[in-house]
Amino acid sequence: FHQFPLKHISLLYFFSENDSLELFSSLENDNKQARTFKIIVIGDSNVGKTCLTYRFCGGSFLKNPEATIGVDFRERTVQLDGERIKLQIWDTAGQERFRKSMVEHYYRSVHAVLFVYDMTSLLSFESIPEWISECSRHSVGPLVPQVLVGNKCDLRESCQVPTSAAQSLADSHNIPLFETSAKDPSEKEHIDAIFLTLAYRLKSNKTLRLKQPSESSLREMRDQQEQDATSCRC
Amino acid sequence: MRKFKRKKLNRGAVVNENGSVTTDADCGRKQKLAIIHQALIRDPVDIEILRNSSASKGGLLTDEMRRKVWPKLLNINVYNLPHKPGRDVRENHKDYNQVVLDVRRSMKRFPKGMPAAERAVLQEQLIDIILEVLKRNPQLHYYQGYHDVAVTLLLVVGERMAIAMLDTLSNFHLRDFMDPTMDSTKHILNYLMPILQQVDEELHDFMIRAEVGTIFALSWLITWYGHVLSEFKHTLRLYDFFLASHPLMPIYLAATIVLHRAKEVKQTECDMAMVHHLLSHIPQDLPYEVLISQAQALFSQYPPPLLAKQAALQSRKSLSISTFQAFQLSTLHQRPDVVLQRLTRAQDSTTSRHGLEAALSRDRSQLWQRGNRMVKMAVWGLSATLGAAVFAVAQTAMDWGPDVFLQLF
Ligand SMILES: Nc1nc2c(ncn2[C@@H]2O[C@H](COP(=O)(O)OP(=O)(O)O)[C@@H](O)[C@H]2O)c(=O)[nH]1
Ligand SMILES: [Mg+2]
Repeated sequence: FHQFPLKHISLLYFFSENDSLELFSSLENDNKQARTFKIIVIGDSNVGKTCLTYRFCGGSFLKNPEATIGVDFRERTVQLDGERIKLQIWDTAGQERFRKSMVEHYYRSVHAVLFVYDMTSLLSFESIPEWISECSRHSVGPLVPQVLVGNKCDLRESCQVPTSAAQSLADSHNIPLFETSAKDPSEKEHIDAIFLTLAYRLKSNKTLRLKQPSESSLREMRDQQEQDATSCRC
Repeated sequence: MRKFKRKKLNRGAVVNENGSVTTDADCGRKQKLAIIHQALIRDPVDIEILRNSSASKGGLLTDEMRRKVWPKLLNINVYNLPHKPGRDVRENHKDYNQVVLDVRRSMKRFPKGMPAAERAVLQEQLIDIILEVLKRNPQLHYYQGYHDVAVTLLLVVGERMAIAMLDTLSNFHLRDFMDPTMDSTKHILNYLMPILQQVDEELHDFMIRAEVGTIFALSWLITWYGHVLSEFKHTLRLYDFFLASHPLMPIYLAATIVLHRAKEVKQTECDMAMVHHLLSHIPQDLPYEVLISQAQALFSQYPPPLLAKQAALQSRKSLSISTFQAFQLSTLHQRPDVVLQRLTRAQDSTTSRHGLEAALSRDRSQLWQRGNRMVKMAVWGLSATLGAAVFAVAQTAMDWGPDVFLQLF
């Protein structure tokens, strides 16, 4: 079992046990009543953005993903505290030229951002600060929930990005860090949890008007979740 | 639009010296191949007939015909092809990593039954041809999707001719996509909505209200649909069409696809995500022949200069559009292959070896050196079991480069 940053463990056990049971795919009825949240997934080419979003929305590991050209769109509807929430996931191309002139259209009105790097590629991790600052250039404000995801944790032998380094980057930007794998089937629920973290944040953002990201907001969210939680896996 | 098409074909039939009068309706497959063949051996090559045949029903019909006609459409002398790239092509190129990543992930573009070892050889060639063209043209910038164009060419015409074709396409038809930024690409995409507006105002307004933009058609445009079609034969059909057409033709085809689905679109929730989602996934059973002739009809009814009167299209200049006329002129005076071969031989007779032969033997020895056992075995196997006649056919394929030869299996 791999390690993920301690700070977030309490969030994770909750999501992976409880909420995944409540998940169901979209394509079902009255979509109109579901609130819709738009999540954009960004990061260098080949870090696994397409596989991650596919895993979350389609359930399986996408064998032989092709390069993403422009943006791809996937969605999934989840049930959180009895409310149907539609998550629109915008999967983007990693190549710089696309984001410079094409992706801006999609930064508009995003509700949350998922930054992805490849744990076996230091280069992809070193680009993260650039992606973060680009995001703020596109007027994605501090109220927009963001998470940092290190993908391909199944390739432990060739890991080039120590968790400590990733954690300190995440801390400096005050965003939660997750290490996971789109490929490893046992990480499936963890990936659900990552997206649901954002969904919860968005949900509570609106109702509680939390200022985020901060330790206190995390704690508040945790408290709220623990009220609902009936079981946990530890 | 029927009329438009027929007119063109009739013109083609008149020039046909067999005396056979053919029209769109009775132009059978065999006849069409014969007409194309006649056009190829005329001196100069009858480029007008070749263009019409590429666009009209069925396109060029066979890969063998494509290998003969595609180079003519791009004014390429098949007896003077670029050499195979050496090892150094991979050194110090800024796009090297991105190209490798994209090519390694391009498995789906190869025929399903192809053995992994063979695909691996072709993928390495794909990396080489892309980098070779980029090295020859430092002003051009790689984009994700360029590899989808390159692989289509490679699979049909082999490595060396693919380099020649990709080089020409990159400097003309694809030129706008290869700027340092994608602003010119956006400009080309901006032609889409005005076409829709001319034909179906209601649909146009719906899409404007949904704020869907045109990015759903981005991968269609910059890969000539190679990235989005799962059937290779459909991709080839469209490549026949686009190679013979104006660089904006992929946009006109995009318009016909959207128009074809107008009802579906209007029934969708008027929301960017929903409309983008619907449109970006191309149904696999599109009536390609119908859409192609509709695209041609739209093109003649609403030609680019007419659309360009729109404010949004005035500000920028497209290199692909502005160089197109000169490009087309350059294709008018090509000699047929027999003549080209003779000329090339004559030119080379002063040197110790014929250029083509020299190049071929270089090709062959390189492939041999790479230790591609499969190819070796295939050659030995062929000559031993099937006899001289078939081996001669294989040799002819070899004349197009060993890659074509590989495809015989
Ligand atoms: N080992 C491993 N490989 C992965 C994982 N996720 C993606 N990949 C591979 O990484 C490559 C890039 O994935 P893709 O999703 O296309 O990356 P993108 O460019 O960020 O969209 C592909 O070859 C995937 O098979 C993972 O969790 N583990
Ligand atoms: Mg991708």
